[in-house]
Amino acid sequence: MGKTFKKPEALSDAHTHYCPGCTHGVIHRLVAETIDELGIRGRTVGIAPVGCAVLAYNYFNCDFQEAAHGRAPAMATGIKRVRPDLMVFTYQGDGDLASIGMGEIIHAANRGEKFTTIFVNNAIYGMTGGQMAPTTMPDQRTSTSPFGRKVEEVGMPIKMAELLAALQTPAYISRQTVIKPKYITKAKKAIKQAFTYQLENKCFSLVEVVSTCPTNWGMTPVQAVEWTEKTLLAYYQPGDYKVPA
Amino acid sequence: MALNFIEGNEAVALGAMAAGCRFFAGYPITPATTVYNAMLKYLPPEGGVCLQGEDEIASIGYCLGASMAGHKVLTATSGPGISLYSEQISFAIGSEIPLVIVNVQRLGPSTGSATKGADGDIQFMRWGSSSGLPVIVLAPVDVADCYRLTVHAFNLAEQFRCPVFLASNKEIAMTRESVDLDAVELPVTVTRKTADRGKPFLPFATPGDDTAPDFLPIGDQTLVRQTSSTHGVNGYITVDPEEINAFQHRLEKKLTAHVDEFTFFDQDLDPQARTLVVAYGVTARAARVAVAASRAAGKPVSLLIPKTLWPVPERLIVDTAAPYDRVVVVEMNMGQYVREVQRLLPGKTVDFFGQMNGNLIKPEQIREVI
Ligand SMILES: Cc1ncc(C[n+]2csc(CCOP(=O)(O)OP(=O)(O)O)c2C)c(N)n1
Ligand code: SF4
Ligand SMILES: [Mg+2]
Repeated sequence: MGKTFKKPEALSDAHTHYCPGCTHGVIHRLVAETIDELGIRGRTVGIAPVGCAVLAYNYFNCDFQEAAHGRAPAMATGIKRVRPDLMVFTYQGDGDLASIGMGEIIHAANRGEKFTTIFVNNAIYGMTGGQMAPTTMPDQRTSTSPFGRKVEEVGMPIKMAELLAALQTPAYISRQTVIKPKYITKAKKAIKQAFTYQLENKCFSLVEVVSTCPTNWGMTPVQAVEWTEKTLLAYYQPGDYKVPA
Repeated sequence: MALNFIEGNEAVALGAMAAGCRFFAGYPITPATTVYNAMLKYLPPEGGVCLQGEDEIASIGYCLGASMAGHKVLTATSGPGISLYSEQISFAIGSEIPLVIVNVQRLGPSTGSATKGADGDIQFMRWGSSSGLPVIVLAPVDVADCYRLTVHAFNLAEQFRCPVFLASNKEIAMTRESVDLDAVELPVTVTRKTADRGKPFLPFATPGDDTAPDFLPIGDQTLVRQTSSTHGVNGYITVDPEEINAFQHRLEKKLTAHVDEFTFFDQDLDPQARTLVVAYGVTARAARVAVAASRAAGKPVSLLIPKTLWPVPERLIVDTAAPYDRVVVVEMNMGQYVREVQRLLPGKTVDFFGQMNGNLIKPEQIREVI
């Protein structure tokens, strides 16, 4: 009997540094499978963020260029504009994309840049020790909201997929999650769809992936999955928010 | 006496509270984040405001606004954040907005090594703004200094209405030490001078060519208008070369003419020595050990620890170095402050030892050089 399940070519052999129960690893795998299936590994360039995925270059078997915190869409724009033949994707956390990098992502999407963004929304700053992010839930405790996020003071969490879908420029904007197998299948489909739109030179594409950070949420991996399903998914509802005509 | 076992960043926060700081804003970044955490602990219970910005540019912007409304303000970051502060630092210099910035330096460039110390921003803090006009930079050596110099930093920001940096370093900021804070002598708290409310307000009028203007807050009884564009004493844009010249020179002179009044330093001089070691920040602690060991081994050496780095305390450096044949500058970079020392001591041998590999400079390394 042959091998029925193997590691994608686009993933390296390195062991990741991600914590137990962290979904960064699953998302890496889905992106890598997509790269394999579309046969684009030789011409794919990833843009790594500053965040827990700063080491993503270590885990993918394709070219990787890190960008300064929040600036991945600008870096991707430069690369894609001079090398439209390349497949370019940014991989960004919620602090990176929705806080410091809000300007860059909105303008890249609005210009209709032909690259793909994988947006890992774990409702917190993972790497720097669990500070509040723009995506942190009301009453969620973080190191900078020790008594819970106070909506009266800092507003409601930002729904990036909806926000970007409101732009007039054609784009593919989807929100998924990877906390259980049934969600993973859909997330994979969306990521592949996003890359395919880029391959067809059709539009900017972004998949928001609702993710876990058990370490900074102060939860076990199992609790993190439950909390994501009950709390995060109720607010960040999965689905396609914009599809190009 | 009560010993506190705290890290430098917490001591900074306590110093800020002692100085009357009522506003903090910042964006998470290692190794400065714990200043934010400590301010979050101390500030709101005292009625102050502690805010997380969406990025560094916004965070320092909140600080400028709060300062113009009359509050003493603090922000803290590290190299990548200082890069983003640059625009607003220039703005604060030109608009004469009091502000204290803690730069917990980490090894760069850019994201570099988040958890390794360095003193790589020493020239950057001085020159990282448009125009080349000066700011004040103080460099703590230990936790007690973090406490004391933060109070001085606030006083200087208020007196001279300019950005004041505390040039901390990951190694001081995130290492806990036992310190008796009650035994640390703090200066009397200074608050910016208020302009006479009865008179028409000229926001940039000064009695001399080397002082900061008196202050009235935005949003008070008197109409106050502010611009960072080149302005005359009335705060309106000017194209008059003489007025422009006077303004530029005053911004420079208000600090350089007064540096002797805020030249903080330690020294350990040996009358027998032919060599003077100059070291600042955490490196000064290794230098102390090296100097003591060298003396014990029969080789006398002297030590100067400047704690005011900018404007350069020229008199201190020139006078202290005068009796020595050789000066050795030791710093955690590839040679930054040594440029200032060399510039001031043209006839002398000025040697340099630096290291930028993420490790502290060890006393034995300094002994080898001296
Ligand atoms: C200009 C700048 N400011 C701050 C930082 C510090 N920093 C590093 S990672 C990070 C946040 C990462 O959070 P997120 O993007 O949500 O990614 P996660 O770790 O949660 O995956 C921050 C603030 C930096 N590197 N550069
Ligand atoms: S800190 Fe959070 S986001 Fe980072 S690897 Fe750990 S679980 Fe994942
Ligand atoms: Mg995050």
